[in-house]
Amino acid sequence: MSWNRVAVVGAGLIKFGELFDQSYEQMAAGAFAAAVESVDHGFDPEQVEAAFVATQRGTLWGQEGIGGNTVPSAIGLAGIPCTRIENACPSGSDAFRVGAMAVASGVHDVVLVIGVEKMRDKSAEEGLLARAAAGHPIFTRGETAPVLFAPFATRHMHEFGTTPEMLASVAVKNHYNGARDPYAHFQNEITVGDVLASPAVCRPLHLLDCCPQTDGAAATLLVRADLADRFTDRPVYVAGFSVATDHPYQHEKSSCAGLKATQLAAERAYAMAGLSPADIDCAEVHDCFTITEILDIEDLGFVDKGKGGVASLSGETALTGRIPVNTSGGLLAKGHPIGATGVAQLTECWWQLRGDAGDRQVDMRHGNALQHNVGGRGSGVSVINILTTNQP
Amino acid sequence: MTGGVQLLAVGAATPSWRLPATEVGAAWGRAGGRGQAAVCAPDEDTLTLAAEAAGRALAASGLQTDIVDGLWWGTTRPPFAEGPSHAVLARAVGLSHRSGGALASGSPHAGVEALLAAADAVGAGTAQVALVVVSDAIVPGLGTPFEARAGAGAAALVLVSHGGGASLGPRVTRTHPYLDRYRGDGEAVTRDLYDGRLFREEVFLPTMRELGEQLGALDVDRWSLPDPDGRLGATLARQLGAGTPASAAVYETVGDTGAAAALLGALGALDAAGTIGLVGWGGGRATGITITAREPVRGAVLVADAIAGGRTVTYAEALRARGQLVSSGETVPMGVPPQSAQFVRGADEMLGLLGARCVDCGTINTPPSIHPHCISCGSAKFVLEPLARHGRVHTFVVNETMPAPFVAPLPLAVIDLDDGARVMLQVTESAAALELGGEVELVMRRYAHERGVPVYGYKARTVGTEAR
Repeated sequence: MSWNRVAVVGAGLIKFGELFDQSYEQMAAGAFAAAVESVDHGFDPEQVEAAFVATQRGTLWGQEGIGGNTVPSAIGLAGIPCTRIENACPSGSDAFRVGAMAVASGVHDVVLVIGVEKMRDKSAEEGLLARAAAGHPIFTRGETAPVLFAPFATRHMHEFGTTPEMLASVAVKNHYNGARDPYAHFQNEITVGDVLASPAVCRPLHLLDCCPQTDGAAATLLVRADLADRFTDRPVYVAGFSVATDHPYQHEKSSCAGLKATQLAAERAYAMAGLSPADIDCAEVHDCFTITEILDIEDLGFVDKGKGGVASLSGETALTGRIPVNTSGGLLAKGHPIGATGVAQLTECWWQLRGDAGDRQVDMRHGNALQHNVGGRGSGVSVINILTTNQP
Repeated sequence: MTGGVQLLAVGAATPSWRLPATEVGAAWGRAGGRGQAAVCAPDEDTLTLAAEAAGRALAASGLQTDIVDGLWWGTTRPPFAEGPSHAVLARAVGLSHRSGGALASGSPHAGVEALLAAADAVGAGTAQVALVVVSDAIVPGLGTPFEARAGAGAAALVLVSHGGGASLGPRVTRTHPYLDRYRGDGEAVTRDLYDGRLFREEVFLPTMRELGEQLGALDVDRWSLPDPDGRLGATLARQLGAGTPASAAVYETVGDTGAAAALLGALGALDAAGTIGLVGWGGGRATGITITAREPVRGAVLVADAIAGGRTVTYAEALRARGQLVSSGETVPMGVPPQSAQFVRGADEMLGLLGARCVDCGTINTPPSIHPHCISCGSAKFVLEPLARHGRVHTFVVNETMPAPFVAPLPLAVIDLDDGARVMLQVTESAAALELGGEVELVMRRYAHERGVPVYGYKARTVGTEAR
């Protein structure tokens, strides 16, 4: 495959949380400033040739449609080319993929990828939970976000003997990591007992099996790899990326024990990067619910199908484990401001690859980190990006 | 006269909840109260009950639904005050787009009106096969004596021009323009009788005696008699020398089922040869008719099961289900309005529960309108067919966290139907009994009450754990 190599020379985010005091525009400006600030040799904002902005859902803060114009105006770059990417929960990671393609194609040399999401301007009832009444009037009625994943938990328990304790161990690990991430929404450790004692949200999932509703923004700066040394002596490169789709309704799944979109995306991303799961040092994966991370680590090939629960409980995915997963705290502890989520995960990968992850730093012996999101109706869209410190 | 009109099969249905009279009495500071009433769960109403009774009568008849010439539906209070009540029920029970019939409503007498109109159509030869459905789910005024007795239920009959095991006999009608139980234009609930003594002495008993004496001359073995207040039924039976009416036990179990009461009280007695006299009343009218069974009528033996059972609920649960106890604050509107294009495109597949079977690989795609290409092989060649109404749970969840108007817990299940189709549907209240591999049947339910009108679709119900 012939494409211009792409380097990530800057990445940053704002502290995630319930940011009642910040507007969508202010969050965008904060993330952009953080990314600019992170560039080792300095970065003049005027160098941004084009921007790709991920925002999944404007209706959560009263906007019906958000074009590509809001963010350039908010970050002082009104006039630049900017396109909004909306592709469900992987919106941020897909914006990164599209931004990388814009550089890889040779059309642009310097691109901003930024994700911004306001999740908490409306109450939960009028916001995210209102999707219970959206979609098909019969076949999706009552389908809130947990309904997209809880059926897989029921099935995974049935087929593989996965237990509520195994699910809970994912939340425990990610909260442990989140407590070491100054940008995380939640910075407290929890126990398996805490998870199991928390209220049922959508049985078999408890409150602490679910990610919170979080406001946030994150940004990355992508440049043509051969220009990277103007910006940094420690560049991170894009090794590969992919997107895959599956049917959009639960009843159309061939299996309720794994996510086909993730499996397909993994196959493609590993092939593009010339890597295998064993070459990945750490991964930021989509853990909107505990069961999702268990499905992810199986579908990404880190553990055998059916072994995700056991692997989580036994610490294989912990900071000190064989394959550390969600070192940032993941969606469960860091938060899930949808459009920003993927970009923030990539920022964590960038820090890990550069050795800047502080208390969360893991051993990057191969120099490869994987980022993954899955979502949309029926969890039918998955995006994977693989970053590397290895010169292409 | 209704010469030549035969009764081929019957069916009955009652809602899944039972409200003890003592529950209602206690709420209003009245001690005692006896019996119970069958009341609707939040997803049941007069139409879902009608659909279930009709489905049972049609199944008992052994006939294909597409040869039914028409639906005659009697219900005091159709689900759309104005709107497609009849068309929705006809589609939900699988009648063809060419089927005719009529909707009688406005008082409990509508039940017997529907029966007579259907019989006339068969007698006149304009219909060979007529489906009669009578149903009600009255919303009584709060605190009225009637409230604790206001029940819900449905009965259905398949009438044919020849070949049934029973015949319809002569009819007698009396009309007097008086207000008994009524609901003013724009009012939400049915008012109770103004003066019980006035009604009893000057209206009900004299009218009923006239009817009963004429019908009694016809050698009636069993009776189904109205019982507006819990005592008049017994008084009337005594005056007619009728013994205990067949309807007494039905009233005791499900209360006053309005337009359904006369037939619901009679159908169980049709499982043996004999003549039953039944009397419907309401809205200033009363009509009696006889049915003579030469042999047990198909489906009659199942009527007792349809009336029995049910989960005992609190007064608050019943009020909430009837829309008489409403949470304050906003409710989340349905994403697609019930008048919009999706309901036009999807009417048949939602109400008729259709699937699209791929001609090339056999996979059933549901619903058809969102699957121009097969999910398995990509083919675009399909045959539409009704889905199986029975299957097993593949996986499920119980949603505990939703905004109003949703009420938790709400179970949802992915179901493998017997024909190989897979669907995801809400489950009627039976979360405790749900298990992977467990058996379910699909039943018509009200999914929402949206912009003032009901929205119907199928839900899964665990088999063997709930009342009809």
